[in-house]
Amino acid sequence: MATAAEPPARRTSRIRYDFLAGQLLALGGAFAFAAAIGSIIIIAYNENPLFVYATVLNYSTARVQDIAQVLEYATPLIFSGLAVAVAFKAGLFNIGVEGQYIVGLMTASAAALYLDFLPAFLLVPAVLIAAMAGAMVWASVPAVLKVRTGAHEVVTTIMMNGIAISLVAWAILNPLKSTGEQLVDLRTNLFPEEALMPSFAGTFGLESVIPISVHLTLLFPLALIACALVWFFLFRMRLGYEVRAVGSSSGSAEAGGISIGAAQVKVFLISGALAGLVGLNHLIGDKGYLGSNYETGLGFAGIAVAFLGRNHPGGIPLAAVLIGILLRGQDGIAISTELPTEILIILQGVLILSVVIAYELVQRVLRRRMQQEVAVTETTAPAEA
Amino acid sequence: MAQPDSDGKPAQRAEAPLVAFEGVTKRFPGVVANDSVDLTLEAGEIHALIGENGAGKSTLMRVLYGLYPPDGGRILVRGEEVRITSPRIALSHGIGMVHQHFMLVDRFTVAENIILGAEGGTVIDVGRAGRSIGDLATTYGFSITPSKRVEDLSVGEQQRVEILKALYRGVDLLILDEPTAVLTPQEASDLFGNLRNLKADGKTIVFISHKLDEVLDIADRITVLRRGKVIGATRPAETTKSKLAEMMVGRPVLFQLDKPDTDSDLDSAGPLLEVENVSLAGRLEGVTLSVAGGEILGIAGVEGNGQLELAEVLIGLRTPDSGTVRIEGTDVTGRSVAGVRKQGVGYVPEDRHNRGLVLDMTLWENSCLGRQSGKDYSSRWGVLSIRKIKALAARMIKQFDVRTRTSNVTAATLSGGNQQKLILARELEGEPRLLIAAQPTRGLDVGAIEFVWKQILDHKAAGRAVVLISAELDEIYELSDRIVTIYEGRLTGEYPPDAPAEELGLGMTGRSDRSAKAV
Repeated sequence: MATAAEPPARRTSRIRYDFLAGQLLALGGAFAFAAAIGSIIIIAYNENPLFVYATVLNYSTARVQDIAQVLEYATPLIFSGLAVAVAFKAGLFNIGVEGQYIVGLMTASAAALYLDFLPAFLLVPAVLIAAMAGAMVWASVPAVLKVRTGAHEVVTTIMMNGIAISLVAWAILNPLKSTGEQLVDLRTNLFPEEALMPSFAGTFGLESVIPISVHLTLLFPLALIACALVWFFLFRMRLGYEVRAVGSSSGSAEAGGISIGAAQVKVFLISGALAGLVGLNHLIGDKGYLGSNYETGLGFAGIAVAFLGRNHPGGIPLAAVLIGILLRGQDGIAISTELPTEILIILQGVLILSVVIAYELVQRVLRRRMQQEVAVTETTAPAEA
Repeated sequence: MAQPDSDGKPAQRAEAPLVAFEGVTKRFPGVVANDSVDLTLEAGEIHALIGENGAGKSTLMRVLYGLYPPDGGRILVRGEEVRITSPRIALSHGIGMVHQHFMLVDRFTVAENIILGAEGGTVIDVGRAGRSIGDLATTYGFSITPSKRVEDLSVGEQQRVEILKALYRGVDLLILDEPTAVLTPQEASDLFGNLRNLKADGKTIVFISHKLDEVLDIADRITVLRRGKVIGATRPAETTKSKLAEMMVGRPVLFQLDKPDTDSDLDSAGPLLEVENVSLAGRLEGVTLSVAGGEILGIAGVEGNGQLELAEVLIGLRTPDSGTVRIEGTDVTGRSVAGVRKQGVGYVPEDRHNRGLVLDMTLWENSCLGRQSGKDYSSRWGVLSIRKIKALAARMIKQFDVRTRTSNVTAATLSGGNQQKLILARELEGEPRLLIAAQPTRGLDVGAIEFVWKQILDHKAAGRAVVLISAELDEIYELSDRIVTIYEGRLTGEYPPDAPAEELGLGMTGRSDRSAKAV
C-alpha cells in the first residue's frame, strides 16, 4: 500500500474540503433563509429588519462584557447539548436532561451545604461530582428500564422529569430547607464561599472589562474541555466507537459482538453525568443557593442545541453561542424596538428548521459525490493486487 | 447490432423497433455510466442485459424508465423520439420497471398495492379492482391471491405483485432488474414460466442479470455491457456461458474451481462444530448436525425455512430454547456473540447491510467491528489504536481486492461486491476455525462470486470448517463436501455432493423419505 499511498491522501482531503465547504454553504444558506423569514415578521411590526439584526449583534458582541454575557448563556447549553448528543449517537433520545440536571442541582446543593468543612479546591470538585452523580443516578433508571424491559426512553425520561421536580421541591422543603426564619422564599441556606465556582473575570484578571453582574465562570472553559473529551470519547475510544456502531446499525453491531444493551446503558450514564453540569452555572456561579425558582428549560434547550450542532462536539459550542447571542439580543430588542422579544424565539425555531433541512440537502449531494468517487475507482482501478 | 441504416427512410424496416437507444450517454461526474449506447428492443422478445456490477445496465434502464435524464443521444419508442423525464411518462409509453428492492406496502393487500397510484377516482371499488387483478393473474398464469396481505407473502410472490403492478398499468415493455437475485431455484423457474407467458402475449421483457445460466435459458437476445459500453450482442444458440463471462469480465473466467481434497489427518480430530437437537420456538426443530475441520457443510433450502435462525443460533445472536451447540467440544449454547466469536467463529451474514456493515462508518471503522476489544486495536484504557486499525483495513483492502482508493470513505459508498469482500476479509481475519457463511454471493457478479468461492475453499483447504447456507443450488454443489436440506426448521436429509438436484429438491420441500438422523 506504500506505492498507492499518495493519491488516496489527496483524494480524501478533497472529499474533506468539499465536505467542510458544503457544510459552511448550507449554514450560510440556512442563516439567510431564517433572516429572510424573520424580516417578513419584523416588517409586519413596522420595524426595520436590518436595524433589528444590527441591534442583536450590537448587544451581543459590542463590548467584552457583552461577549462574556453571551458565553454565560452558552455555558449550560453546551453541557445540555452534549448530553443530548452523546445519547443520540447511540440512537437514544435523552429527553430527560431536564430532570437529570434538576436532580443534579439538589445533590450539588447537598454537597455544598454538608461538605462545608472542605477547602475550596476540594469543595468545588465535590459539588461538581455530586451534581454529576445525582444526574447519573436519575439517568440510570430509564437506561435500565430501556435495556431490561424495552420501555421507550422518551416516555420514561419525561416521567422522570416530572418526578425530579417533585423530588427537588420536597428536598427544598425538608432536608435542605433554610434555617433562617425571616426568609419568605423557599430555599436552602446560602452556600459557603468555598463552594462557589470562581469567576472567569477574577481568574484571568478581567475584572475591569467584565462587571460582576456577568456570571461567566470557569464552567465555561470546563464546558469546552467537556466538548473535547466527548469528541475523544466518540471518535477515539472503544466505547465511543461501539456507541456509534450501535447508533447507526444496531444489527451489524450486534452481529459483530457488541452488546447493544451494555453500550446503551453506559452512554446513557455518560449523558446523565453531562446533564448534571447543566444547572451549575446558575447554582454556584450566580445564586449561591438552591431556591424553588431555579432555572428550568435548559435541558429542552439542549435538544435544540444538539440539533443545530449536528450532534457533533465541535458544532455544539457554536450552536450554544448562537443561541446565547439570540438570548442576549432579546435584551436589546426589548430596549430599542417595539417588537415583542418572542421574535427571537421564532427566529431560533426557523433557524433550527432551516439548518436541519440545509444540512440534509448538502449531505445528499455529498453522499452522491462520494459514491461517484468510489465508482470511478471501481471502474478504473486495475485488478492487480 | 444497431440498424445500419438509421437515416430515417423506412424502406428497410417494415416496423420500427419497440424501443431504440441511439448513442445514449449518461455521465456522472467523473464516470461515464453509459457511453454512447446503441440498443434496440424488439416487440415480443426477452432481451437480456448482462454485465458486471457497475457495467451500466441498471443505469441504462433507469434512463429509459425516466429516473435519470440522459446526457446525450436519443431514445425512440415505436420509431418516435421521446423525452422520458419521469416514471409516469415512461408508464404512459407502456414502459414499466420492477426494481431489485420491492416497493410494496407490507400492511396492504396485494390488490391494494397493485392499484396504489392508479386507483382512478376518489372512491375505490376494491371488488372490481380485485377481479380485474385476478383476471390479469390468470391470463399470465400468476398464482396469487389479491386479498392476501403483502407481509404474508414469500419473496417470490411479492415479486409477482410487482410485476402485476406494472401489467395493471398496461405496460408493453417490462424491465426486470436482477429479478432472480432474491429467488430460490423453484421460484426462479416459476418466474420464467410467467415471463414466457408474457412473451407469448406480445410483451417485451428486459431482463437485467449476471447469472449466465438463466440468461441462456430465458433470453431471445443477449446484450453485454462492460464499463458503460456495449461489448456485443448475441443469441443463446450462438454462445456459451464461458464466452459470455469472458465478454462481461474481459478475461477468461473459471467456473470449475478445484475442490481441494481434505487432508485425512484433519478429519480424525473429531467434529469441530456439533449441534445437538437445537430447537427455537416455531423456527427450528431438533436440528442436529456436525461439521469437521476441512469440511464444507452445505445447507440447502428454500428461503425462510429456518436457515437465518440456524445461522443466528450458531453465532450467538439467538439463544435456542433447547439443545446444545459445541465448538471443539466447548459448549457455547447461550453465549453472547462476542463469546462465540472468541471460540474462533467467523460469520458472513445474509443481510450485509443490517448485519454485516455499519454503512455510515468508514471502511477502516468497519474493518475492526467485532475485533475492537482486541489488544491490537485498543489499549487497556479503551483508546482505539487508529494507526493499527487503518493498517489492518489497508491489508484487507489489498488482500481481498476491495476496489476503493482509501479506507476513509463510508461503507455505503461501496458496491455490493466490494462490501461483501470487506465483510469476508474481516470475518476471515484471524483465521477462525469455523466460518458460517449465509448466502455469501447473493447479488454479486461473476468475478466477485468466483473470488468469494475461492476464499471459502481456501479456508477449508487450511483444515478449517465451513457451514455454507445458500439458496443457490449451484453454489451448494460447487463448494460442499456434504449437503443437508432444511425444510420448515427441520433437517430433512443428508446427501453426498453429487446427489441429483431432484433429490435435493425433495428434501427442500419436505417430501424426502431420507432420514436426517445420520447427519
